[in-house]
Amino acid sequence: MKHITIVTERRLGVVSEITESLAAAEINIETIQTELHDNSSVINLTVDRYDNALQVFQNIGMHAISEDAILLRLKDEPGALAKIARRFTDAGIGIRSIGLIKRDQPFAFVAISTERTAEALSLVEDVLVG
Amino acid sequence: MAVQQGSFEDCCLSESHNKRLKTLLDSIHIEADRFLGYPVSQQFDYSCLFPFLTYPMNNVGDPYTQSNYHLNSHSFEREVLAFFSKLLNAPDDGVWGYVTNGGTEGNMYGIYLGREIFPNGMVYYSEDTHYSVPKILRILSARNIMIKSQPNGEMDYQDFAETISIFRDVPAIIFANIGTTMTGAMDNLTKIKEILKQRAITNYYIHADAALAGMILPFVDHPQPFDFSSGIDSISISGHKMIGSPIPCGVALARKNHVARIARAVEYVGTLDTTISGSRNAISPLFLWYAIHQKGKLGFRSMIQNCISVANYTVDRLNQVGIKAWRHKNSVTVIFPKMSEKVLKKWQIAVHRDIAHIITMPNTSKTQINAFIDDLIQGIEENDDVTGKQYV
Repeated sequence: MKHITIVTERRLGVVSEITESLAAAEINIETIQTELHDNSSVINLTVDRYDNALQVFQNIGMHAISEDAILLRLKDEPGALAKIARRFTDAGIGIRSIGLIKRDQPFAFVAISTERTAEALSLVEDVLVG
Repeated sequence: MAVQQGSFEDCCLSESHNKRLKTLLDSIHIEADRFLGYPVSQQFDYSCLFPFLTYPMNNVGDPYTQSNYHLNSHSFEREVLAFFSKLLNAPDDGVWGYVTNGGTEGNMYGIYLGREIFPNGMVYYSEDTHYSVPKILRILSARNIMIKSQPNGEMDYQDFAETISIFRDVPAIIFANIGTTMTGAMDNLTKIKEILKQRAITNYYIHADAALAGMILPFVDHPQPFDFSSGIDSISISGHKMIGSPIPCGVALARKNHVARIARAVEYVGTLDTTISGSRNAISPLFLWYAIHQKGKLGFRSMIQNCISVANYTVDRLNQVGIKAWRHKNSVTVIFPKMSEKVLKKWQIAVHRDIAHIITMPNTSKTQINAFIDDLIQGIEENDDVTGKQYV
């Protein structure tokens, strides 16, 4: 089952906005979980029409992260990404991309895409989100 | 810009279709007068080139290669490229380029070259890089790492140094911002090269995204390092921004030895065309050529000095009314806190997170700035957005 992660600002009504937008596009939500951080909400969903849901999130201006990427919460400081990247290179796992998704001082949400997602996940359990 | 007050009565369309065109033109005319947030000049008049619009002109292929499609403007395109090559201190006969559809295509070209030279290279770009770059990286399947930005929008060099240390064995493809979209911040090429040198990384490629600043820095007295003399391998500059054009366009230039490599790579398809698209717009090279000859270097210099003067005026005026505004050295992007969203929308001001910006382009007048600030003050007084209160 494919899952989607949304990282957005922590505010009232954000879950309703997501569920209503998906309902309007006739997309069925199979599971939904919300994780609250200081100023951010991380929402994990599984839906019946994955690609259409990603399109809906793009249309409503929400940053959706597909399951190809790993979402991490790291200290927002120089070199923090580098330390994580080191874990992958030491394990011989190639990195496709690393991108900063959202800052939530003193942390930052980071999405990483690697060549071997399953193995990569085990290397970053301590900072994994969702 | 010459405003065409067309009635469209001569169009071979129904009355309702003519009316729709007129409505659109009227709306564009009104909105163009309140257009402060985006880096495009409206100060151009290419009406004497309109006869060219009656032909199916096409600059298909490489501008330096003979084409069987004779309805082209390749010779003018080459002159435009020669002008930019000199402006950017390129080695004599050492660069190749073409007129693109805009800055993004030039950036794609630069990353494409870097990726072809170093197929396993890692692209480094800062958090404040234009949104189109991650898209390009995805299209090119280029491995990439985003580097943190400093609060002023410039690359965080400590983060860059620490990240690149981990990938010392991987060639580095640096995407340097010479003027970020939101703050006009410029990544320091001297520092970037120092970091590469300290880590003994010799396999690297630097692309400069100088969409707006590429037409500013050549005309100021103390420019930041940004051109071929500063060690870049390729550069992208927009034509429709500072020069101005009704059709988006730009210039991509790269060191010739890099392009030769691409040319070899495409030989198998029987063409030496190293541009990205096939058919290419033949009109925008004429616009750029016309502007270059109409204004000349002195005209551009005067135009840039005026833009900077209006930027200074904007900073001063905003600060005078209690709104903290600032700009980077040699930048025409004036940054201030996001406030009074109704007013920002009216003046088409771009916002990002908690900041907004005005870009003082050649057509931006002090009168417009005054009117905008009057609106802003009124908007805050009417409390249309509480965030504005804290700055006044």
